[in-house]
Amino acid sequence: MRYLRIFGMYFRIGAMGEMQYRFNFFVHLFQSILQLGMALGGLAVIFTYTHSLGGWLPDEVLALVGVYTLVGGLIGLVVYPSMEQFIMSVRDGMLDFMLVKPADAQLLNSLQSVDIWRLIDVGLGFGVLIVALTRLGTQIGLSQAALFVGMLLTGSAIIYSFWTILATLSFWFVRVENILEIFRSMYEAGRWPISLYPPWLRFTLSFIVPVAFVTTVPVEALTGRLSPQTFLIAAALAVALLAASRVVWKVGLRQYSGASA
Amino acid sequence: MKALVPLYLQQFKTTFATMVQYRASLFIWMIGHVLEPLVYLVVWSVVAESGGGSAGGYTTAEFAAYFIVLMLVENTSYTWIMYEYDYRVREGLLSPALLRPVHPIHADIADNISSKAITMPFMLVVAVVLAAIFHPVMSPRGWALLAAIPALVLAFLLRFLLEWTLAQAAFWTTRVSAINQSYFVLVLFLSGQVAPLSLFPHALQIAASILPFRWMLGFPVELILGRLSPTDALLGLAAQVVWVGLAYGLMRVIWRAGIRLYSAVGA
Amino acid sequence: MTSPVIHIDDLTKVYEVTERESGLMASVRSLVHRSREEVRAVDSISFDLDAGEVVGFLGPNGAGKTTTLKMLSGLLYPTAGEVSVLGYTPSRRLNTFLRQITLVMGQRNQLVWDIPALDSFELNRAIYRIPAADYRHALDELTELLELAPLLRKPVRNLSLGERMKCEIAAALLHRPRVVFLDEPTIGLDVTMQRRIRDFIAEYNRRFGATVLLTSHYMADVEALCKRVVVIHHGRLLFDGDLSVLVQKFTSHKTIVVQLDQPGADLGRYGELVSSDEGRYTLRVPKAETARITERMLADLSVVDLLVEDSPIEEVIERVFAQELE
Repeated sequence: MRYLRIFGMYFRIGAMGEMQYRFNFFVHLFQSILQLGMALGGLAVIFTYTHSLGGWLPDEVLALVGVYTLVGGLIGLVVYPSMEQFIMSVRDGMLDFMLVKPADAQLLNSLQSVDIWRLIDVGLGFGVLIVALTRLGTQIGLSQAALFVGMLLTGSAIIYSFWTILATLSFWFVRVENILEIFRSMYEAGRWPISLYPPWLRFTLSFIVPVAFVTTVPVEALTGRLSPQTFLIAAALAVALLAASRVVWKVGLRQYSGASA
Repeated sequence: MKALVPLYLQQFKTTFATMVQYRASLFIWMIGHVLEPLVYLVVWSVVAESGGGSAGGYTTAEFAAYFIVLMLVENTSYTWIMYEYDYRVREGLLSPALLRPVHPIHADIADNISSKAITMPFMLVVAVVLAAIFHPVMSPRGWALLAAIPALVLAFLLRFLLEWTLAQAAFWTTRVSAINQSYFVLVLFLSGQVAPLSLFPHALQIAASILPFRWMLGFPVELILGRLSPTDALLGLAAQVVWVGLAYGLMRVIWRAGIRLYSAVGA
Repeated sequence: MTSPVIHIDDLTKVYEVTERESGLMASVRSLVHRSREEVRAVDSISFDLDAGEVVGFLGPNGAGKTTTLKMLSGLLYPTAGEVSVLGYTPSRRLNTFLRQITLVMGQRNQLVWDIPALDSFELNRAIYRIPAADYRHALDELTELLELAPLLRKPVRNLSLGERMKCEIAAALLHRPRVVFLDEPTIGLDVTMQRRIRDFIAEYNRRFGATVLLTSHYMADVEALCKRVVVIHHGRLLFDGDLSVLVQKFTSHKTIVVQLDQPGADLGRYGELVSSDEGRYTLRVPKAETARITERMLADLSVVDLLVEDSPIEEVIERVFAQELE
């Protein structure tokens, strides 16, 4: 629909802006490959000492690395740059331009900035995922694949709402961009199955900074480990957070526009 | 040398004030620096458990000790100077540093040490908490702990000199973040942050010992944990000294080249 | 009688500002007790605009012009009073309302920096849902009126300030809004560009009948474009009427600044002496007499430099304000 078209425009703009610096492609490709290589290297070392990690087979953990990279790429593609730009626009008043447009301001602000080089991560992650799944050789039936996509979407909704709520805090607090950094640090922990972590860390990574729902959970769906509870919690959380982010946005906007309480 | 003392003291005051201002960023920075070793701690503990209690010569408790000590040693040798220089170049703040009569590296070192003086207490608290949760076990020897002092100082100097020199790349290219990132990936992998270096395949261990990375981080940690023989410790300190010397030399060369370029091109 | 396009009644915007003195004791005190002060950015103003009017909204910096514009475009909630544009309540920010207005802010760019202006136009086309044919028409017209042809395909960062402003304005008008809010559109531009933009606005209004509310602190903008001006100062409405009336009543004088060879001359006989400083004198003379007085001064005195200026807007405003008190 219409916002898809608008996103297409923002994507095109992001691409055009970057295409002028063609060398950037190779720089980013190098960086992404290096990062991935390091992750895979770490995996390799670990699996010389064990055959399974907390019940996960090497190729299942590989699949997790794939999803981690893929999702990291998607977040870096549009969520992170747009939120960053939104936070700046609150401060320098450029937000006014967005608010005067006949389109939903929350959506516009979520889509406004696209870092096209993150597609490299999406591609690499997807590639690793495919390799891992082929090696697993398994019976990834249609239902599992569907569940996987479903959990990915749910996880994305959770992450998106989480980011939106954090970014919207800039309506009230000035130095908010640091908060986005919390996520990036904690996202690192998503490279490993969260079942490994002690309960308090697992809880933090699920409900405080919801990294787990976008890394471990989709892979669980793929490898048939998804428990009904996790599924329900993920779905409920997605709906709740989406609603919450909308409410927080509306309240924040009223605050910004000087509505008397 | 004596003239530098007031400079360092002044820098302490400035850094302290700045850090009090940016409390939030500090907290967030700490999260990252605690989480990383913590994650590897957990992962390796699981590996050890599945391997019958130990893996590669480390028991679960010894892994805990390794990563907690690593976290603290990391905090002493860590620098952010590459990001700082990238920022300075972008904001055009390099000229003031060049105009000072003192080599700018001193201000940067002073800033680094002052920040750590502030963050170290917090890190120690975190270390104690982690120790309570994970029950680390280590067998430090008296002489090793004594030797660890120069080892830590040398590790810091080595890391700072190297990264400061790399930061000067800001003079030549705007692609500093790419260089930064590639360097950090290498450091992460080869300095012992992903796993104790003795767990790596032999070839990588040799590489890590030839390159400066082990001497920045892994070596002091191994020393403190009491895992090195006196001979190894001595050889290690020697390697650190050699590398500090090389790094210093490199720093001088690059710095002079950078100044020449900067003054030729102008502010 | 058709209802006005813009209707403002007793519009007020009050900001709460926390006051704090400097010093350690004051900051400690402020932890416990925050003294709040009210700033009345806009104070009970009322006026109406009919369709097709071009109205100048004049006032010095901080007078409340931008705040009023923001309330008219829905960016700010009023504290009190009524505001209605095209029959809508702006702060409800309905898409059907937003599609019919536009806001241009001088010195603020919404064009994307790294890419040609044309591509930013395309973005607006998608956002405003402009049908292809209408878009084509609007683009062609604006290109012609603003002489955009050589500019459209250059990255915006390569354009001069004036060229950028022209593209900004074009981007804002692609959807043929019925109401155009211009907030200091000529600020920072050179004189030629200022004139070009003024001419464009006049032509645009003539051709399409859009209602234009233009704020400025340049008298020249208003003189060129607006029959009617609204003057605002300290948030209060000081004058609302014909420009010619304002000009006649309150800018009947001009200012002459003359630099003499030697100090100590008595210039009182040429006009009202406003200030003197080391041979540099500022005089206030009746407008009609300006040429004559200037001629005489140049003949009588050894003049190093001489400058004739309009009364600064602040002076005009002050006089309007003073008049109000009488």
